[in-house]
Amino acid sequence: MTRTAERWISLAVFVGLILFWQLLSRIYTAEIIPGVPLVPGWDVLVSRTFLSMADYWGGGLGVASVGEGAERSYAAAALSVVTHSWDTLLRLYVGLAIGAIGGTALGLAISWSVWSRRLIGLPMQLIQGLPLLAMVPLFQLWFGTYFIGKIAFIGYGVGVLFVAGTLNAVRNVPQIYIDNALTLGASKLEVYRTIIIPAIFPELRATILLSLGVAWATVIGAEYLGAQSGLGYILVYSQQYGYVDRMFFVALLFIVYASISYAVFNRVSARLTRWVPRASAPARVA
Amino acid sequence: MASDTSMIDGTTAVLPSRPRAADQRGVTVWATLRSFRIDIFGAIGLVLLVVFWWGLTFVVPRSSLPSPLNVFRRIADDFVVADMLSYYGLPETGLMGSMAYTAANVLIAVVVGGLIGTVLGLFAARVPVARAISDPILNTVGTIPILVMAPFFLIWFGTGRWSAVLLVTVYVLVILYLFAQRAAENLDPVYESSARTFGAGTGDILRDILIPGTLPQVLGGIRIALAGAWGLEAIAELLGAQQGIGKIIEVLAGSLDIEGIFAALLVLGIVAVIADWIAGALVRYVTRWSVSARVGTT
Amino acid sequence: MTDSSQGKPNDITFTDVTRTFVRGDGQEVTAVDGVSAHIREGEFVCLVGPSGCGKTTLLQMVSGLLPTSGGAITVGAKQVTGPGPDRGVVFQKDSVFPWFRVIDNVEYGMKRRGVPAAERRDIANRYLELVSLSHVARAWPKELSGGMLKRVAIATVFANGSDVLLLDEPFAALDYVTKHQLHDVLLDLWRSTDAPRRTILFVTHDVDESLLLADRIIVIRDGRLVDDIAIDATRPRDVDTLTRPDMMTVKHKLLAHLGLEHGSRRSAAS
Repeated sequence: MTRTAERWISLAVFVGLILFWQLLSRIYTAEIIPGVPLVPGWDVLVSRTFLSMADYWGGGLGVASVGEGAERSYAAAALSVVTHSWDTLLRLYVGLAIGAIGGTALGLAISWSVWSRRLIGLPMQLIQGLPLLAMVPLFQLWFGTYFIGKIAFIGYGVGVLFVAGTLNAVRNVPQIYIDNALTLGASKLEVYRTIIIPAIFPELRATILLSLGVAWATVIGAEYLGAQSGLGYILVYSQQYGYVDRMFFVALLFIVYASISYAVFNRVSARLTRWVPRASAPARVA
Repeated sequence: MASDTSMIDGTTAVLPSRPRAADQRGVTVWATLRSFRIDIFGAIGLVLLVVFWWGLTFVVPRSSLPSPLNVFRRIADDFVVADMLSYYGLPETGLMGSMAYTAANVLIAVVVGGLIGTVLGLFAARVPVARAISDPILNTVGTIPILVMAPFFLIWFGTGRWSAVLLVTVYVLVILYLFAQRAAENLDPVYESSARTFGAGTGDILRDILIPGTLPQVLGGIRIALAGAWGLEAIAELLGAQQGIGKIIEVLAGSLDIEGIFAALLVLGIVAVIADWIAGALVRYVTRWSVSARVGTT
Repeated sequence: MTDSSQGKPNDITFTDVTRTFVRGDGQEVTAVDGVSAHIREGEFVCLVGPSGCGKTTLLQMVSGLLPTSGGAITVGAKQVTGPGPDRGVVFQKDSVFPWFRVIDNVEYGMKRRGVPAAERRDIANRYLELVSLSHVARAWPKELSGGMLKRVAIATVFANGSDVLLLDEPFAALDYVTKHQLHDVLLDLWRSTDAPRRTILFVTHDVDESLLLADRIIVIRDGRLVDDIAIDATRPRDVDTLTRPDMMTVKHKLLAHLGLEHGSRRSAAS
């Protein structure tokens, strides 16, 4: 079987699943609550369900909210989807950036001395072992439901990963590079600047991709359990009322955004590390 | 020992000079046990962490950060039965019992998800048609943050044990599918060819080549999946469950009991770390033949 | 084994053997092109040729790992249709299973054939002794060097009692000294085993290696059999054997086939 044949089968499976869903929605018309089908077809999702997103529009920009007594409108629905997506994505990427930068900096600082490296070993294992998603309520108690709380939580999750990843990457820098620089008269700071930081980049590739998964999980977890906005908030809110169609709609948005983020991250990290010989690029990302 | 020393290359030095099989086995077991040892620096680091935490309690208000001593005392008090929680009508209030419930769910999910994921992954790696069918589905599921599925499972399967178990199972399954598939693809085809020249059939190849050859990477995947499974199980219980450590945390969060949350989180974290150690030691022992398995280095 | 005219148990007959591949761009490539030859029982034959000439493809077809596109290969009285324990293979890459201990590797073929446990352990131990590896019988393969792993692979195919041994550039990745030690190991095993002697097909691109080992050298180029040279020298052979005038003539001939002779093409023609 050739590669192209495989591609066609894969595409056919995709199309088949989409069509199967539509067919199922026609055959299985049970409703979980009046007006909400248990299996919402694509036609329902893009019309009625999309329109119902207007319920989550808070008003403004000349488009009145449902809460203010206005009818559901496509304008309000579109604005609602855009603003809630914006909230989620902003939390995700700001948290990711803060965690990545802070974690790498902390990791480099710890790796500076043999003593700190050794001392941090076991505590780091324990901190990494603390199940991140179970800590949502803790961050909520600390920061309330504000933006800063979400950022802190995502940043913490991503940061822990980057500290561990950086420590590991620094340990894996071939000693010969460092020795070479030292014999050429480089100071420790210069070794960090010119050898270690460039050398850990390809090693961190795995961490970067892993951290994206962690960031998605944490932003959703945080929005489930204490947020007034964002896609996760809509998802859990809809679940409490049994609006399966709205849940599907939001889940699809999540799938699209997550797929795009993975594709972009893959592309960017491949570009950043393109000088790395293939064989030494570690391929151990799940 | 060898009759002809000129024939023995440098690597022989790696081997202990005792050819007795029993002795070699003894060495391996001892090295595995030794990998459990906690180095002195790690212990000091751990003490420093607790001291740092204790120091912070003088700066941060007690309502935000309980002192370590209080948290340890709380764990001891609530370990078997937590009187404070008995008002909430929970079937199990003790940290130990709740933890056991959560751990059982994680174990079921890791075993079931691990088995199904591995079988699918190996199958997909060897049968191109199966791969073409399963890849788009599982890769899509792989990019979906698994947590998105939690509300759906709650609606479909209720707040009992099984919606949490199913969520974690799907997560483990996807990871193991990817790991097993990659492991099978990375396995040098020379082993399979070699086995076939000895007359091995499909079943023999599966048992003697594919399964042992992919085991190190599959078990590595299990370990990674296990690490993530605890948090996922806990948040599934937070979102809707009758018991478990996540349920306890949810109840405690409702009454703003930060000391209790710390106690529950700490118990969960310690169990997760110990589970990882045990899994790591098991993996090292089972795959002690593997070049990448460095026995005795922590 | 019914018809003695068409082969003793261990001989190999190639009848117009052809193999084509379809390249990635859709082009059809002929790797082996109408090879016919007969290799007698107990003969040590080297297949020599430049890389990419089709010698490994030919060997893989004898092993049954690769089907022929045309023609037939017969081992003994049986036409080759797939891999089987009657033809043992030593691969260029390390094929010793890392997840079995050394002794279990040597026993593997016998286990597949259903040899009782005690018997196969005895046989495996005997062959490990013959390749001087008794002391690592219970070691893991990762604890062995490349040369030792080759010994394990050789012990495994000999212990399995295959009538025909197929070796695909087995020593190409080894250093000079180890390679020569392994030549001795291989020849000793081949010559010491009880009659009937096993037939060996040995693929190499190393001219000296073929001259040291073979009874007969078959040269393959561009998928065709271009020369078939009998080597008339007694064993054991050494550096001096290789410098004998008749051996030098053969060497020049082989080098010419490999495209390595520049000024002295006449010796190849003689």
